[in-house]
Amino acid sequence: MDSTIEIIMILLVLSDMALLGLSRLRACISIVSFQGMLMGLLVLIAHSSSMTPRLIIIAAVSFMIKGFVFPYLLRRGIREAGTQHESEPFVGYIMSIISGVVMLGISLWLGEKLPLLAALSGSSLVIPAALTTLFTGLFLIVARRNALNQCLGYIILENGIYTVGVVSVVEIPFLVELGIMLDVFVAVFVMGIAIYNINREFDHLDSDRLNNLKG
Amino acid sequence: MEIASIINIGLGLILAPLLQGVINKTKASFAGRTGPPLMQAYFDIIKQLKKSAVYSKTTSWIFKAGPVVSLAAVLLALAIVPMGGQAAPLAFPGDLLLLAYILGLMRFFTVIAALDTGSSFEGMGASREVLYSALAEPALLIGLGAIARETKTISLSQIMPRAHFFSPEIVLVVAALLIVFLCENARIPFDDPNTHLELTMIHEVMVLDHSGPDFAFILYSSSLKLWVLGLLIIGIIFPSPAGSFWLLYSMISVFGLLLLAVVVGIIESTMARLRLARIPQLIIAAGSLSAFAFILVMR
Amino acid sequence: MNHEMTLGLLILIPAFAGFACLLMPSLRTALGLMCAGVFGTAIIGLFAITSVLFEHHILYAAGQWLFMDALSAYNYFVMLLIFCLSSIYSCVYFRAEMEHHNLTINQIRLFTCLWCEALTAMTIVLLSNNLGIMWVGIEATTLITAFLICVHVSRESLEAMWKYILICSVGVAFAFMGTLLAAASAKGVAFGNHNALLWTTLRTNAAALNPTLIKAAFIFLLVGYGTKAGLAPMHTWLPDAHSQAPAPVSAIFSGFMLNAALYCVMRYVPIVETATGNSSWGLNLIAGFGIISIMTAAVFILFQTDLKRLLAYHSIEHLGIIALGLGLGGLGTFAALFHTLNHSLCKTLSFFAAGRLGQAIGGSHDMEKMNGSMRISPVWGIGIFCSILALIGIAPFALFISEFQLLKAAIDKGATVSLVLFLLGAGIVFIGALGHAIPLAWGRPHSTAPVSRASFVEFILVFAPLSILLLLGIWMPQPLQSALNASADVIRNTVSASASLQGGLP
Repeated sequence: MDSTIEIIMILLVLSDMALLGLSRLRACISIVSFQGMLMGLLVLIAHSSSMTPRLIIIAAVSFMIKGFVFPYLLRRGIREAGTQHESEPFVGYIMSIISGVVMLGISLWLGEKLPLLAALSGSSLVIPAALTTLFTGLFLIVARRNALNQCLGYIILENGIYTVGVVSVVEIPFLVELGIMLDVFVAVFVMGIAIYNINREFDHLDSDRLNNLKG
Repeated sequence: MEIASIINIGLGLILAPLLQGVINKTKASFAGRTGPPLMQAYFDIIKQLKKSAVYSKTTSWIFKAGPVVSLAAVLLALAIVPMGGQAAPLAFPGDLLLLAYILGLMRFFTVIAALDTGSSFEGMGASREVLYSALAEPALLIGLGAIARETKTISLSQIMPRAHFFSPEIVLVVAALLIVFLCENARIPFDDPNTHLELTMIHEVMVLDHSGPDFAFILYSSSLKLWVLGLLIIGIIFPSPAGSFWLLYSMISVFGLLLLAVVVGIIESTMARLRLARIPQLIIAAGSLSAFAFILVMR
Repeated sequence: MNHEMTLGLLILIPAFAGFACLLMPSLRTALGLMCAGVFGTAIIGLFAITSVLFEHHILYAAGQWLFMDALSAYNYFVMLLIFCLSSIYSCVYFRAEMEHHNLTINQIRLFTCLWCEALTAMTIVLLSNNLGIMWVGIEATTLITAFLICVHVSRESLEAMWKYILICSVGVAFAFMGTLLAAASAKGVAFGNHNALLWTTLRTNAAALNPTLIKAAFIFLLVGYGTKAGLAPMHTWLPDAHSQAPAPVSAIFSGFMLNAALYCVMRYVPIVETATGNSSWGLNLIAGFGIISIMTAAVFILFQTDLKRLLAYHSIEHLGIIALGLGLGGLGTFAALFHTLNHSLCKTLSFFAAGRLGQAIGGSHDMEKMNGSMRISPVWGIGIFCSILALIGIAPFALFISEFQLLKAAIDKGATVSLVLFLLGAGIVFIGALGHAIPLAWGRPHSTAPVSRASFVEFILVFAPLSILLLLGIWMPQPLQSALNASADVIRNTVSASASLQGGLP
């Protein structure tokens, strides 16, 4: 079981790296979809010893929402906006990948600082992988201009936090968990609506050019 | 036992050009062509050996030394990389570093021989070659370092029998090595060995001015390089225990290399060459895979 | 009425009123239903609040998932006050918009619905005992109010909305990480499995929590909820959102939404303090953010040209002051809570005035164009001038008293650096804002717009908050003082607080 979790964590980190290095939005969305499915699997595998209907529902819901609904919404965004590529990111792709490796290193260091958390999660790789995912999300939000890419970064960031939650805290009541899922879902939905309106009003999704308000 | 390692080297010397043939056959069958015969690389080498060399007046001894040093270097590399669980004849602790730098030496001489011609095309090829190999070298070294750490030895001949392919770290290293393999051997998606547009070529453009036996040396040494780097990957994927049944394991390795050649053929048939600007990105990705593997084993 | 029902109704009434607003046929009925919802909630809420604050009960409902203690009751009171005032004001405001025909019935339906839902979400934040649900409430406020910024779709409002959603969602996601870490820090502590996220459980067992994890959790929480509360340097969304939203929305943003986020931080303070052995580690962090906010806001206030942006920076400054008070502890906590009430009242008033004056000069909030507001609209001119005076801490107003108490707390604690920086920041704000306020009140009007007459309701809207502020500045009523003390005790790390908590368990 532990090694399965490790493999999922490695795949998680690899998908982060891929997101940092890819410029085609469609490819990025596919990776986000893949990561979402990993999140669903993670719930099942992390608690495979104590399976309850509650866990299965949570796994199924996150698998569906993160693996299929988010990518669907994002793809629609692409279709409506007609953008395929991130035009010119603030940080180049090569530098992004290198920063990814640096973030991984920092996450490992932080993971060692929180030994109790690592002990809770069963594998010493979980917390670093989760933190790397969190940082990657944050990095995408900061380093990319396209509003869709920033929305994507938010989803990634959520995935990182979700990983910590799933693996280290089991006791979160069902209702809370569903509430959180709903909130994240609505957040992406609202961002989708905002992107739609921005695209209609501005004819571009370059968040760097949203600069009328200053000071 | 000494016999075994000498036979292994002999296998390499004889079978190396065959890999080129397998790759080309695979590509041809994907494209629905008959393609050149399997032994075409041998024919080319023999043909070139029969011819006499032509040297430009502007070249110096460096130009002549290039192919010879390349061949010598790759032969040395062949004697370092183990095959079929059998220790290589020149194995010693730390030989993985030597391997990386012998390949570096080979590249260095190819590059300065190309520069020696004074042609702008070859200069351009040389500069690209140096850029990409400078990026690929960390990927190779960090990857090998990760495996060395995992198996707790620093000699290739002892690493190979001990690597367990089914640990995630090793999978990552193999992925990184595969990318380095394609890059170092100037295959698609890094370089198209068939193209004759000088502007887009990397490796081929550097050897345009060589002819006769010199060119035969170059063809032969690039076949051997394919073999050597291939062995590195195959040795990790099919780790073979040291000692008995060495012939069986050698045969498995040869089979693995042929399989690798088919895989390369498939990759070349299904992918297009990357834009030059994107190539460093892929190599850096390989480097980050290696670095990730290294971090994982250091944990 | 039992507690189960009371607390449940407080959440359900605005929720249903909101959905019903979507079905209303006309602007008038939609606004009317919205006001009815808000006031209905307020009446029931007042019963609950008096029972908590003056009869010293702690109300529990829904299996301890909902509760109301002194701290939540006090904050809930402030919120109800702000919402009631803002609801009346939004009727005035949108009636004027309707006269200019830049409002459709769909927009008003959406506005009234979201307004009530925002009230619901903030109520959930205040009443939930479950820290996870509290987080859900904060995230819900972000999402609901995002559309309120965009009631009038324009390039600027879309930009503000995008920054608001993105920055706040990311910030609040950090708070979620903090919530998870806090729950994880309770691992191994002996209490029932399903209570790990209940505030009351964590509070009673705070001493047994893992200190490293709770510290990590608090950093995430402070950054996360601090983003939503507009603490610098995470404040960048705030001026944009406040300046682009319609005035009533700016009023609840500044008057209560920021406080709601800071309330979440307040909830964690006693837990963190106990878990880290009363080392003031968490308090110092909060005070640090507070001082940075005060200084940042002070610098930006000097160079503002837009009235609503100026007020937004004032919000950052005052939230910084509240955070500083919270961080000082002792009397500072009391001052911070008192300041919450004063600032909310004053800030809603000033946004009301900014909104109406903006309408009077034709939809701009440029201070140049608003010069001579006393002549454009005497009532609202007085409103804006007096509220800016109050905001910068002129003597008879209540904000002066709470800031003075805060100074005293700083002196008592010997926190010289905080003291000096606070005085410096307040000094810069004083000069900067006064420089803006005087021409704003008496300058030569640019527009030739006719003097707009204020109705009786508007008159009340201006002078009721002003007179409350004046009154509180001169005389602190005994009930208010005891309420403030009771809620400050919840935050302060006193033994009596945790003892009373256990005594109050049903």
